[in-house]
Amino acid sequence: MDNREHLADVMVERLISAVNRGVDLVPVVADSTSTAKIAPFEKAFPGRMINVGIAEQAMVGTAAGLALGGKVAVTCNAAPFLISRSNEQVKVDICYNSTNVKLFGLNAGASYGPLASTHHSIDDISVLRGFGNIEIYAPASPNQCRQIIDYAIEKVGPVYIRLDGKALPEIYPDDYIFVPGQIDLLRQGHDITLVAMGSTAHEVVSAAQSLDQEGISAQVINIPSIRPCDRAQLAQLLADVPLVISVEEHNINGGIGSLVAEVIAEQGLAVRLQRLGIGDGEYAIAADRNDMRAHHGIDAAHICQRAKELLGGGACV
Amino acid sequence: MNAHQLSIEQLKEKAREIRKDIVILNSQSPAGGHTGADLSQVEIVTALYFRILNCGPDRITDPQRDIYIQSKGHAAGGYYCCLAEAGYFPKSLLPTYQCADSKLPGHPVRHKTPGVELNTGALGHGLPVAVGLAIAAKKSGSDRKIYVVTGDGELTEGSNWEAALVAAHYHLDNLIIINDQNRLQLAGYTKDIMNTDPLDEKWRAFGMEVSECEGNDVSSVVSVLESLKANGKPHVVIAHTIKGAGISFIAGRPEWHHRVPKGDEVDRALEELSHG
Repeated sequence: MDNREHLADVMVERLISAVNRGVDLVPVVADSTSTAKIAPFEKAFPGRMINVGIAEQAMVGTAAGLALGGKVAVTCNAAPFLISRSNEQVKVDICYNSTNVKLFGLNAGASYGPLASTHHSIDDISVLRGFGNIEIYAPASPNQCRQIIDYAIEKVGPVYIRLDGKALPEIYPDDYIFVPGQIDLLRQGHDITLVAMGSTAHEVVSAAQSLDQEGISAQVINIPSIRPCDRAQLAQLLADVPLVISVEEHNINGGIGSLVAEVIAEQGLAVRLQRLGIGDGEYAIAADRNDMRAHHGIDAAHICQRAKELLGGGACV
Repeated sequence: MNAHQLSIEQLKEKAREIRKDIVILNSQSPAGGHTGADLSQVEIVTALYFRILNCGPDRITDPQRDIYIQSKGHAAGGYYCCLAEAGYFPKSLLPTYQCADSKLPGHPVRHKTPGVELNTGALGHGLPVAVGLAIAAKKSGSDRKIYVVTGDGELTEGSNWEAALVAAHYHLDNLIIINDQNRLQLAGYTKDIMNTDPLDEKWRAFGMEVSECEGNDVSSVVSVLESLKANGKPHVVIAHTIKGAGISFIAGRPEWHHRVPKGDEVDRALEELSHG
C-alpha cells in the first residue's frame, strides 16, 4: 500500500481542522492557491482566506497585521518567494515584531526541479537561522508534518515550516510523538552517522539499509526541529561514532551540516564531518529530483558511496 | 473615546509643548536624531493622540482601541515626546532617548515602549501591516480604525503600493493613511531624488479616497480627520507639512534630516517656541 502524502495536503487538512476546533486562523496567499492546494479550505470556509495577489511583501506584512489584530495568520506560498522576495518583511514584521504568524515554505529545497534556481529554496534555513526567535521545522513525513503543524498553530509566536514539494512516504511509527527540539534517532549504528533534515531523511534511511547489507553499521539521525534544537542530545548521539555525513537539500552553508559542525566543534567531539548538499558557491541544477540529487551527491546511492570512501572501502552497489 | 479630547486651542498649546520636548530630547541624545522629521509631524500625532484616536494609556491592550502605526520610524523622537505627553510613560524617560539599552531606542520597538504598536525603521513596512490590522478588524466586526503615518520620501518603497492594492481590493474604509508630505528626505528634495507628484492622482488611481490638509495647522488636521466617512474606500490624507516646522532655522532645511540642536541653538529654538 502506498502511504505517500503531499505535505501541502497535510497542511490544508490541519488548517481546516484548526478552524473547526475554534482557532481564528486566516491563511494569506499570494496567488498561490494551487501551490498551497488550498481549495478544500476555501470551500469549507468561504471568504476566510486572504489573497493579496502576486505580492509577497504585502502577503507577509498583511499576515503580521492580521496577527496583531488577534488572528492566527498563516502564509502559504512557494518557499523561494517567501524567503527571498519578502526577506525584510519576514525579518522585521514577523521575527523582530514577534508576531503570531506561521510561515509555510512550500515546495522548498529544489522541489521545483527543472523550473531552475529562481524557484529553488536552498537558502531558507540559513537565512532564518540568522534571524532571531523564529522557530524552524522541516518535517520528513506526513505523520511528523501533522504534529508539527498542530503544535505550530497552538504556539504563540513566529514559526517557519519547510515543506517538501513531493509526496512523501511515512517513515515514523504510528506512536511517534513530536517534541520541539527533539533529535530523532531513526536507526542505531556504530560505524558512521548519517544526519538528515526533512525529505533527505528518506535518502539516508535507504543508504543505511544498503550499507547494512555490506556489513557497515550506520546510525541514522533526523533533525526536524532546527530551532529549537536539543544540542546536548545531538552531541550525545554524535559522540561515539567517529564519522558523520550530513545530507540536506539545501546549500551546505548555514543548514543542517553547519548545525552539526557547530555542535561537534563546540562540544570538542572527536568526530569527522562530511557535509553533503548543494555545494559552496553552487546553485542546484535544473533537473527532476532524482537527477538533481544524483548530480549533487545527495541521493541514497551517492551517500552510500561517499560513506564507503570515507570509511576506506570500495564502491557501493 | 479619546483619553484627552482637547480643544483646538489646547491642541495648539500641546503641540508647542511637544516641540519643546523634541528640541531638548534631540539636544541631549548621545546618538543624534531626526529633528526635522520629528517636528514635521507634530500636529498630526498631537491631533491623533489628544483628540482623534479611540485609545489611551490605560487601554494599551484593549482589542477595540484604535491603532496608530508610525511607519516613518526615524521620527521616533517626536513620537516618544507625544506618547510621553499623552501619559503612556513618564516624561522623565525622555532623556534616555538612544542611550544604551534604553526604553526609547532610535526607532520604535513595541516590546520596549508602552504605546508603541509596531517596530518600524525600515521604510515601507507600516502600511502593509496596517492593511492586515484593518482586515482583521473587518473580519472581527470591530469598529476600530487603523491610522498609519508615512513619510513622502518613504512612498518610493514598492511595498506601499502592493499594500495599497490590497487595501482598495478589500474595501478597507477603516484604514487612514496619512502622508507627512514635507517634500524632503535624507539626501535632499524629494522632487529631485524621486518625484512622487502628483501624489493625489496616484492614490486615487489605486482606489483611495483622498483628502488634503495643512499638516502643521492642527485645526486643519482635525477638521479633515473628523470629516472622514466610511464609504468602502481606504482614506488617504495628504498632509502638507514643513520639515522642521515651528523653528525658523530648522524649517525647510535639508541638513536637519539627521542634525540635532546644540549649544545656543537649543536656547534659540526654545525662545522661539515660548512665543507661541
